[in-house]
Amino acid sequence: MLLNGSEIIAECLLEQGVDTVFGYPGGAVLNIYDALYKYSDRITHILSAHEQGAAHAADGYARTTGKCGVVIATSGPGATNLVTGIATAFMDSIPLVAITGNVTNDLLARDSFQEVDICGITLPVTKHNFIVKDVKDLANVIRKAFKIAMSGRKGPVLIDIPKDVTGAKFEYEPVKPETVENELLSQEADFIMAADIIKRAKKPMIYMGGGVVSADAEKELLAFAEKIDCPVATSVMGLGGFPSSHRLFMGTIGMHGGYETGKATDNCDLIITAGARFSDRVAGDREKFGKDAAIIQLDIDKAEINKNVRIDCCILGDLKDTLKKLSDNLEEMKHPEWVAQVEEWGKNSEVTETPESDCYAHPYHIIEEVRKLTNDEDIIVTDVGQHQMWVSQKYRFEKPRTWCTSGGLGTMGYGLGAAVGSAVAHPERRVVLFTGDGSFHMNLNELATVRSYNLPIVVVVMNNTVLGMVRQWQKLFYGRRFSQTDPHRKTDFAAVAEAFGIKGMVIHNDDEVSEVLAKAFEGTEPVVIDCKISPDENVLPMIPPGKTVDEMITEME
Amino acid sequence: MESKHIIGLLVHNHPGVLLRVTSLITRRGFNIDSLTVSPAGIEGYSRMTIRINDDSQVEQFINQMMKIVDVKKAEVLPETASVASELMLVKVRTDHASRNDIIDVTSAYHASLVNIGENSLTFRASGTPSQLDILVRELSVYGILELARTGIAALETGDKCLADE
Repeated sequence: MLLNGSEIIAECLLEQGVDTVFGYPGGAVLNIYDALYKYSDRITHILSAHEQGAAHAADGYARTTGKCGVVIATSGPGATNLVTGIATAFMDSIPLVAITGNVTNDLLARDSFQEVDICGITLPVTKHNFIVKDVKDLANVIRKAFKIAMSGRKGPVLIDIPKDVTGAKFEYEPVKPETVENELLSQEADFIMAADIIKRAKKPMIYMGGGVVSADAEKELLAFAEKIDCPVATSVMGLGGFPSSHRLFMGTIGMHGGYETGKATDNCDLIITAGARFSDRVAGDREKFGKDAAIIQLDIDKAEINKNVRIDCCILGDLKDTLKKLSDNLEEMKHPEWVAQVEEWGKNSEVTETPESDCYAHPYHIIEEVRKLTNDEDIIVTDVGQHQMWVSQKYRFEKPRTWCTSGGLGTMGYGLGAAVGSAVAHPERRVVLFTGDGSFHMNLNELATVRSYNLPIVVVVMNNTVLGMVRQWQKLFYGRRFSQTDPHRKTDFAAVAEAFGIKGMVIHNDDEVSEVLAKAFEGTEPVVIDCKISPDENVLPMIPPGKTVDEMITEME
Repeated sequence: MESKHIIGLLVHNHPGVLLRVTSLITRRGFNIDSLTVSPAGIEGYSRMTIRINDDSQVEQFINQMMKIVDVKKAEVLPETASVASELMLVKVRTDHASRNDIIDVTSAYHASLVNIGENSLTFRASGTPSQLDILVRELSVYGILELARTGIAALETGDKCLADE
């Protein structure tokens, strides 16, 4: 049938099973928005307050559903406002398709109004990007974009479309989307080699990451870990990919990971890495990381092999397949002494809760109380900073895709947008956003979106009135010279919430925590809770950058 | 110096593919000293030939290049089973005294004289990069006024081709 470019976009989105998109209209996407008007019975468009919020929302949607997120923005500033969101998704391997309008073909390259080379700008933060200058290419580019975003190591793809292309007519024929089948790149011999190394190991550990969640391989990982009786540490990105309540679960590994994961890393004889990438926040000292251990790495991205840490054996392919195949090559194993040793270390790593002061609420207490009010399906979103690390240490995740955090890029201001996307994807679930006063200040404009769509999001602002994480580093490494980390803001977050039409609450001290939270969780209305915490709270333990567990900081004055 | 690795890249002939490759080289800090682009002799494809200086970067270089959607193949051309060649134009300062010496030197390298100026001679030479390096060194005694080199073109010897599966 003969359709215009914008209708072709809508049809192609439907082909891909897209029923929800996030975005913000503008001049260069007027045609697209006209088509969205026409297709509004089949495609729900969620309007954000700012394009960045829309990008994070599409990201949160993708993380919590496993589907590809879609975000639409206009040319120029609309497109550049997406960049942080796209980069966030890129660093965490989250599948997104970003569609931007651009000026018409005849105005391109003339510095026209709201013209920007968004393909050039996003080149280093996308898996691939396209500019579609001819309507005849449009449908196939969109199909290709989804395939690229969803295959192999997932990630964002951008499609830039000049305005005349979205208006031009072309014949459209529906095409059934190709199913993504990730090729198994490793040979039988690699599995046999890996299995041999595992059989010889006396003190193995698993270091898992976001790849397990991305591949929906949580069951395979659980079966594998149980079969070889092997303790599991996770990167922050991997949380939810292994049940926190499981006897083999150690918690997070790295800079703010537990004592036992650090000790296990240094004392184990084998590290089996699944869908993780030895980032500097995990392997602070690349030379000493797992220095006495053999390392097996399972990943879908060959470029992760030997990138940061030299490994002994790699298995390349979809974790769902490779973990199962590796399991099949192994008999049941038992490592009772080693598991007991790790448990023993675990006892030492229980961070004792010593509230800084009675005048404030304590972060761990808040997180634990929230956990009591949520079920395993509820979605936890964070911003970036101290609160993010406290949540990653303390919140007990049981299910995959219940956790949204900017792990790689560390994007302050990510949270509220991502919470919107998660809530839109799962209207039946509760979404809790833990944020800090610093992060929340960045993008709290999306409270408008929360209200417009009446999303059941509980926003817990851990308000210490300072930029806590940077301040903590200033305390440790910059002689307590608190340069620009105390903004002296007087923001009343509860009043801000009320101004947006959202219920605002305050927790002044530890005694109020359970009562106020219980009230906040009563209904399904959105609510913002301003939790007063001490500016001197620290995230502990902490392995200083570039160091190992031997130099772990467990106490700070 | 000969331990430098030459890498052949088969890329889709799409606009922006050179930018994707060079942007990756810069972003990942790969240390290269030659990059050439040419038709690949296969419809829709171009061939890039890149020389990388750092042994330890070769594995990552190949793996990262293969992540670019427009890169179809990236392979190290085996040092002992490849031919590598480069074209050079060089303008050398001359006077009556040096003219014959210069012509002697260049003819030893099979360089051909392509232009005679009042106080200069311009030669065209081709050869392996290291042969050209030596010629440049010899001519620099007389004074090199201008120099242009094409960068390396390289193919694996024998029947094997980069495009082979």
